[in-house]
Amino acid sequence: MTPVRVLVVLPLYGGSLPIGRYCSTALADLGHTVEVFEGPAFHGAFTALKDLRAPRDRVDYLENGFLQVVSQAVLAKVESFRPDLVLALAQAPLTRQALKRLRRDGVATAMWFVEDRQLFTYWRAFAPHYDFFAVIQRDPFLGELAAAGVEHALYLPLAALPSFHRPLELTPVERRRFGSDVSFLGAGYANRRAAFKRLLKYDFRIWGSDWDGDHALEGRVQLGGARVSPEDAVKIYNATTVNLNLHSSVQSRDLVPGGDFVNPRTFELAACGAFQLVDRRALLPMHFDAHELATFGSMDELETALDYYLDEPEARREMAEAARARVLREHTYQARMETLLAFVAERRPGWPAPREAGPPLPEDFPEDLKQGLKRLMEELKLPPDAPFEDVIWTLRQREQPLSGLEASLLFLDEWRKQYARK
Amino acid sequence: MRRHLVIQLARFGDLLQTKRLIRSLQRDGEVHLCLDVSLAPLAALVYPDVILHPVRAHGAPSAEIPALAARNRAACEELAALDADAVYNLNHSGLNLALSTLFDPDCMRGHWLDGGQTHRDQWTDLAFRWVRVRRESPMNLMDFWGLLADEPVGGGEVNPIARPKGGGIGVVLAGRNARRSLPPDALAACIHAAATGMRRGAGFGEKILLLGTTAEHPQARALLGALPPALAAMTTDLTGRTGWADLLETLAPLDTVLTPDTGTMHLAAHLGAPVQGLFLSSAWAWETGPYGLGHRVWQAERDCAPCLESAPCPFDVACLEAFRTKEFLKFLSARFDPQFPPGMMGLATNLDRLGVVYVPVFGHDPFAARRNGLRALAAEYLGLGDAGARATEIAAALYQERDWMIEERRPARLLPALGRGARRAAPASDAAPKSGPDSGPTGPDSPPAPPDTDQPKDSA
Repeated sequence: MTPVRVLVVLPLYGGSLPIGRYCSTALADLGHTVEVFEGPAFHGAFTALKDLRAPRDRVDYLENGFLQVVSQAVLAKVESFRPDLVLALAQAPLTRQALKRLRRDGVATAMWFVEDRQLFTYWRAFAPHYDFFAVIQRDPFLGELAAAGVEHALYLPLAALPSFHRPLELTPVERRRFGSDVSFLGAGYANRRAAFKRLLKYDFRIWGSDWDGDHALEGRVQLGGARVSPEDAVKIYNATTVNLNLHSSVQSRDLVPGGDFVNPRTFELAACGAFQLVDRRALLPMHFDAHELATFGSMDELETALDYYLDEPEARREMAEAARARVLREHTYQARMETLLAFVAERRPGWPAPREAGPPLPEDFPEDLKQGLKRLMEELKLPPDAPFEDVIWTLRQREQPLSGLEASLLFLDEWRKQYARK
Repeated sequence: MRRHLVIQLARFGDLLQTKRLIRSLQRDGEVHLCLDVSLAPLAALVYPDVILHPVRAHGAPSAEIPALAARNRAACEELAALDADAVYNLNHSGLNLALSTLFDPDCMRGHWLDGGQTHRDQWTDLAFRWVRVRRESPMNLMDFWGLLADEPVGGGEVNPIARPKGGGIGVVLAGRNARRSLPPDALAACIHAAATGMRRGAGFGEKILLLGTTAEHPQARALLGALPPALAAMTTDLTGRTGWADLLETLAPLDTVLTPDTGTMHLAAHLGAPVQGLFLSSAWAWETGPYGLGHRVWQAERDCAPCLESAPCPFDVACLEAFRTKEFLKFLSARFDPQFPPGMMGLATNLDRLGVVYVPVFGHDPFAARRNGLRALAAEYLGLGDAGARATEIAAALYQERDWMIEERRPARLLPALGRGARRAAPASDAAPKSGPDSGPTGPDSPPAPPDTDQPKDSA
């Protein structure tokens, strides 16, 4: 599709943060011009307010005020970048007031709500303020969104970023550090805590946070329960024989919760070519066939499957390869972003609005500059027909010092703005 | 030896007003100057020891874009290879910001771009605040830029003391904008009065030279028609007939130069030719008056002054009338009455610890107290002495919370470890201003200057 400008608004922290970064990479890979609002840069100040030790109402007031400021910073970026779409990830710091302003100014907004609607029930208050609302659950959520006044909602499942989630050649040291027969990476939700107590007979490692206070699992929790970086996660996936993927649930009655949405780990593990055992989810068959993913529906089934697959390297390999092939075909962030942008284009007449472009570069533009510009656009992953203005915007974000060629293009752009754009 | 790069992409006058900075930087290293190609021949004459890096920054027909792009690409490669220790990026313009991307942000002074975000240092930030109320503007542009240097030369070392040299009267026609200039009849009366006054005193070279570009030739003809025959007979019209070198040669021996606020005025001051500045409309002596000792400025004073030249004047350029009054013409002809010229301030140049000042010899300057307060604060900021309690109220308006709270906004060389107290104890020569500016009195958000129009014929 036509290259567009997308401002990706990252949350201050949390699980949707890496997903926002994957979206940015995917959009840039597709040749769109991407600007990122770095929500995490504001997290430190927000945390400081939380630790103020002041009366709660004062802290509430200050937190709201702070989030208004952050939201204004997003608006400032919108004013300078003039995006075709503001793509916010769940928990992005955009207040309703800011969203109203964007709507008034005709700036399209989309939220990719990569959360469970039953846990993050605040969606009701915010969803109607977005022009497009993408979710990882289908009905009844889509129906509820429509009832709440959201005109343009779509199901947009999670995905993987193949340039990042990929098979790795690990060193022997890395294999020792990150590997085990069985591992799980994720937070210590109630159902997982209860379920994993039954797996202590295996060479089983638990990675991730929020596992404290559980003596039975204490010895299995790695790195003292510290958060694991996305880079290390890929190493763990690659180093593990059987990756457990048990979706979360806040209640411990049903250890295998059997919900609907498919978590990002499912796609990421598959993209890594890593073998996984994943609990059955209502929406999983939409995305993977039975020969692509090994599933379980109960703890008994899980233990049976573990015993089987730990002794069947060939079966593991075949299934992991099939899953990886499926992800590469259908479940990449690039594909998701294409779907989202196509949805926006279909539902919003005249989108993207034609942009006021500068005059084209003259035919007799010096050949060495033409070639230099072409090489630069390839390097910046911009399509050959990308507007000169997009090249300039992307160049301005680069770390300095820039090369003579790059600076001279910025200079030419400024010169044309000043003298040639009539 | 340190290597300094100054990026000055503005006009003729701005190039001359960069002199204090260039002279200061030359004291401890090699100075490179990036400027518009049209001004390179002039810069070669004015700054013979400076290495020039011309770019095409001013307007040109679109058909010339290929040649312009090729030339500027080569210039950018040349600048990138310089490996400058410090880069003084003087103008608040997109063109300057584009060039700043060639350098490590840590070596930038003035204005720069870093990761897509524009930055300016604190000194420049302060200047942007004080030019919001131009009437109170405390500092000449020459000093503002000059004080960016770590060890600025004193104001007295910039230009020679201006003295008449027997070469006659120079008259500069038009400024960049006609509204800044006197019409021929008013200018003729001023020339007549000035010539009369000089005859009453030490005399003058009994010739009058009209200076300007070819575009000003019609005004020269009109002026000749408006002059008394005796004066017209001694007048030579040089409009469109002086290249840069001719202009320097012509200006240097003059007894006085009658001029609006122009590049030629600054060139005359550079050469030590006494200037009589005729300042009206947008021209404001305290911002861009002639630099050095021995100059005078006749500054029109109205509530609306200085105005924004690009906006239409709702008062039919009423400030012009101050130059037509009999009181002013009497004053100019050295017949001093107790009745001072109305709507006018007479200013004589002087120097203080920061640089040039304009001392009123007549007229009322209601903003003097505020201006002096700001000037004292600027000196204090530079470590040149306490501003005193009287400046406290002005300080409250000048300084913002972020100055107080965000220490790292101060330039690195401004004593982060020593503290201001230690700095005050240092000798004045250690005074370290910060970095870079904007293109001057036109205000923080003004676009970069258009190409000059008051330059000689061979510079176009």
